[in-house]
Order: sequence, then C-alpha cells, then structure tokens
Amino acid sequence: MKINELTKPWSAFNYGFLDESAKREIRRRTLKAVAIPGYQVPYASRDVPIARGWGTGGLQVTLTLLKPDSVVKVIDQGADDSVNASSIRKFLAKVGGATETSDTTEATIIQSRHRIPEEKLREDQILVLQVPNPEPLRPVQPDMSIAREMHGDADYGQLWLILYEQLVRSGRIMQGSSYPSMVNGRHVMTPSPIPRWDVPKLNQADHLTILSAGREKRIFAVPPHTSVEPLVFDDVPYRVEDHQDKTCYRSGVEGFFMNELPQDDGSSLYELSDSHFGIKSIRKAEGEPVTLGETWYKNGRME
Amino acid sequence: MAYVATRGGERAIEQSERFYRGDLGIITRERVDAMREGLPYLIDRLMGEASLYEPDLAALALAQAGGDLYEAVLLLRAYRTTQPRLAVAEPVTQPDLFTVRRISAAFKDIPGGQILGPTLDYSHRLLQVGVLNGQNYEPPAVEPAKEPAPATQPSLAAWQKAQGLIPDHPAQTVPPEDIPDVTREPLLFPTSRAHKLQSLARADTGGTLALGYSTMRGYGSVHPTVNELRLAEAPVRMRHPRGTIFSAGRVRISQTEVISKARELELGFAATFGWNEVKVIAAATLDLASNQPNPHPASNEEFVLYHTEPVEGSGFCIHFKLPHYVTFQSSLDALRRVKTDQQEAAIAKAKPETEMQPEEDEVLL
Repeated sequence: MKINELTKPWSAFNYGFLDESAKREIRRRTLKAVAIPGYQVPYASRDVPIARGWGTGGLQVTLTLLKPDSVVKVIDQGADDSVNASSIRKFLAKVGGATETSDTTEATIIQSRHRIPEEKLREDQILVLQVPNPEPLRPVQPDMSIAREMHGDADYGQLWLILYEQLVRSGRIMQGSSYPSMVNGRHVMTPSPIPRWDVPKLNQADHLTILSAGREKRIFAVPPHTSVEPLVFDDVPYRVEDHQDKTCYRSGVEGFFMNELPQDDGSSLYELSDSHFGIKSIRKAEGEPVTLGETWYKNGRME
Repeated sequence: MAYVATRGGERAIEQSERFYRGDLGIITRERVDAMREGLPYLIDRLMGEASLYEPDLAALALAQAGGDLYEAVLLLRAYRTTQPRLAVAEPVTQPDLFTVRRISAAFKDIPGGQILGPTLDYSHRLLQVGVLNGQNYEPPAVEPAKEPAPATQPSLAAWQKAQGLIPDHPAQTVPPEDIPDVTREPLLFPTSRAHKLQSLARADTGGTLALGYSTMRGYGSVHPTVNELRLAEAPVRMRHPRGTIFSAGRVRISQTEVISKARELELGFAATFGWNEVKVIAAATLDLASNQPNPHPASNEEFVLYHTEPVEGSGFCIHFKLPHYVTFQSSLDALRRVKTDQQEAAIAKAKPETEMQPEEDEVLL
C-alpha cells in the first residue's frame, strides 16, 4: 500500500469550503434545531473567509446544504445585488458549483439578511436567515447562561414587561424589526431583524427556515407548518409597517414592503424592497413572458 | 433594466477592492520575508490570536492586509479552518520548555535562577533618529556569560505546591482526542478549563489588556503578583502510530502565572503562541479574577471571553457599515405612528366637541 493511494488528490479546499467534520456537526445541530422549533442550538461555528457579523452563520448553513445542483439566491435588505449579498453568492458558486439566481421561484436555497421574499416559498425551498443576535432575551438579560435557563423555564415575563412598558410610555409597541415571536407554543425566538411585515410569513409556512448566528454560535429553526406567533396582548393587535398603500415609483406595484427614498424637496419616494420582485413586475408590465409567484400579501393584506 | 442599473453594486465592489490592493502594491516573497524577519513580535502576536503557528503564513497575511491586524487574523483563521486536525501533540510542562527568559516577581531569587533573557524592560525608550539620516543603528553584541544558563528550568509553582503554599490540582488524564477544542465545539458557560485557556490564548491582545488592566486597577478583587513569566520554545512532540514519540520541531510560546495575595494563595495562568508578555500577564490576571464573587464584568468569564475574541469583535464592529435600511425603516414606522398618535390626541383635546375620527384600519394578522 502506498501513501498516495490512501489520500485524496490535492485541492485548495474541500467541496463547499468547510471540511466534512464541520458540515457533519452543522447538520446534526440543524436537525436538533428542526426537532425543537425555536430552540437555540449551540454550534462550533468555524471561521470562514468573510468577517464575523457579515453572514458567517448563514453562510455556514448554506455551505452545508449545498449540492452541485443547488440554485442559490442571496439577498441583503431585499436586494440581490447589494454588495455583501453578491459577494456571498459568488463565493457559493465558486466553492460549491451552485447556480446563481435572483428569482425567488427558481431558488432551492435562499440566504437572506433582514428580509423574506414577497413571493411565497414552497416546501422544496429552504430559507436561511442571517442572525446578528439570536437571543430575544438579550434586552432583559445580557448574560447568556441565565438567558438559557430562562428559556428552559419558559420564563418570558420580563419580555412581556418591556412590551407593556413601551405601550404605556409611547402608546404603541415600539419594537421595529426582530419582533420576538413564540414558536410552536414553547420557545420565544427572534425572527432575525426582518421587518414586522415578514414575521407572519413564517407562521404555518410550507418551507423550512433555518436561522444561524455565526458570531454568537447558535442555530435555530422553524420547520414547515409550525406556528410562529408574535408576542402581542389580546387587546392590542400586531401591526405590520404601514406600507400596504405605498406604491413603488419604479414598477407601480402597490401593497408590499417598501424602501423609503428621501427626496430633495422633503418628500419621499417608495420602491419595492424585494428588488427582483420589482424587476419581474416591471418586465411583466413591459410584456415580457415573466411568471410572478404567488405572494403572501395580497392587496397589502395577509389573510 | 433601469432598476438594476441604478444599483450596479457589483462593479463598484470589485473596483474598491482593486483600489485597496493597488495602494499596497505588488506583494513579493521579499516583502513577506522582510516582515517575518523585521517584525517578529508582531508576527508572534498575530500567530497567537490566529491560533496558527506558521511565521511565513502570518507574515504573508500581514503583507496582504497591509498591516491591518484584525484583517490579518481573519485571513489566518479562515486559512486555519480549511486544515485538517491530523494529530494532538504531547502535553508540555514547564520543565520541558527551552526557556530563554524566566522571571519571578514573588521572590528575589528562585530555584533555577532569574533569567532576564531578551527584554526592553530596563531600556530607555529613545528613538534612534539617526537611522532616518542614513546612520545605521547597530546594537552592541551580547557578551556571553561565563556559564550559560541551563536550557530548562524547574517550575516555581511545583516548589510552592511542595511547601503546601498553594493547593495542587492533580492533572486530569484525558485521551488526546478527547481534549476539548474550542475551535471545534461551541463555547458554553460555565466553561471548561480547556476552553477558557484556549479562548484566552487566542484572545485579542488589546482587549485582553483593557479588561485585565481594569481588574488590576481596582475593578475587581485581584491584586496579582507575577509568580513566573516565561518566554520559551516549546518542543512539539508527536506520537507515531507505532507508539514512538518524536520531535516535530519547536514553537515560541509565552506563559505567565500570577498569584493572588488574598486570603489564600491562588494561581491564574495563561499561555499563548509567540512571545507576547503583555497578553499573558493580562490574561493570567483575568483567569485569576474569573468568577470571583464581585460584580465587575472583567471578573465574569462570559463577559471576558466573548468580548476579547478578535475576529468576532472586529467583524461585528465593521458590520455596522452594511446597509441597515430595512431595520431602520421598521423603527421609523413605529416612531412616526407615535407622533401621529400624539398629534391626533392633541387635536382631540383641543376640540373635545368634535367627533373623534374613526381609527384607521389596523392590519390584523
């Protein structure tokens, strides 16, 4: 037996960049996360060639899910060509041979920072959300060890209290994005800093959502057909951003989450935050054969 | 499509990277060698924080990052993660170290002797400005001692333990493969001894100093004395599959024990790759302060280990440059609503007879 019969041919890095032991660990942690919806599973979180805080958690999960026939879409703040999103998408194509796409309906894996696409995801699609801070209890308990015990005891009283305090002080719940939500009636999770507009898309969804925080080393998940309920008081309904009657100045489309663009004259213009949905809408209006997927919101409302 | 054209981010990123790299110029083998030879303490610091001992790679990272330390650590860590863990070296104890510098502040003299070795501690910090005018600075040669110091020295703590001055914690026998490895397992709290010392070994030097200094200065109950500080070369001994132990080379390491002068004597310990005295003294102090019954954050191991991690800290800090307009929009929406509520309330108060406007439809979900 010779040594080169026992070894693999040299390559600069393994398929999908991470070595197989790292992938195996992430797969096991992800399976546990799926089995206990909303529960934060610690994982080693390897170093990857992008800076911490720039999507390393999402990237590790995506690299683990990657197959040569994967079709990946990467978005940041809703946009496919945002600088960091395009850098991550290129990396995935380079190390995993994945096909790149901007079209939500074509993707098998969608890695996203701070948005869920407007077109409904199917059961054969996986959404990977990048998470800066996985701990919904951080505002009331910065010590992670204690916060972990509080999750164990389902001790969420202090979280309810800060929502109540906001209500008393400001007359409204002031939580913008990252709205704390109860998953499967047991664990409160942060849905990552997606706008309130996107949180209901996770509830009883057809697709699997994996949330991964690389710097903080936690994976959690919302399996398909699982309840995700924003923490609200019975008499104060959950309110998404007032974007249902805003119109995109580029595409003319109405009733979706918008980017506000301040104008010199003091007014604002609005454009669709989901950039490729906007592109498709424009193309469709121009008569091109484009298929728009079914959307979660219809006429600015979600049933 | 107009929609795409106005964004056009991809070309801009490529050009901005070229801009940066263009400023640094051509990276040559000579430049890398000059960095490795001329900046050994910086290379050491980098290898410690990257937890990857390879002076050539560290010098390359430094050259490629133009001296940006955090960027260089990230480059090395990202390289390290692609390498398999082939074997675990045999443990080294203090008497195994080829020691070039070993001092104790706790005693005037110690078994084995105080060995100053290379240090700037007692030098006058004067810039040799003549160099800039073309006069080379050539330091005077070292005059060797009559008798060279022994290559290895005993452990001072072993003497203190034999005297019953400090409690002896028997070494745990763990098979090499089962030694916890913080690069392959999550850091959980309360953390294992192995994870804590590994985290401190690869902690940010500046961060370790800031928190360590805070405990030394009085935010904490620790009044450390340097029991023993060593700069050494540690033998890397591997076990052949047939059982033979062989040497695979040496690595430069530094280590410090600090001792408390509180009610009972206790040791704090830290070690790292490379010669980096400030880091090991600060880290050993943090180890000693760790989980002492006092409320200061620098005594809390979770606070210390999370916030001295150079790649995580620097990455998160610079991530705030990424667009956050969706989250900002979401907060803006909440703030505007409160304003609208207040204005409506003020109008209603001013005209109590006016019939209240019907509330706008809430989006119920």
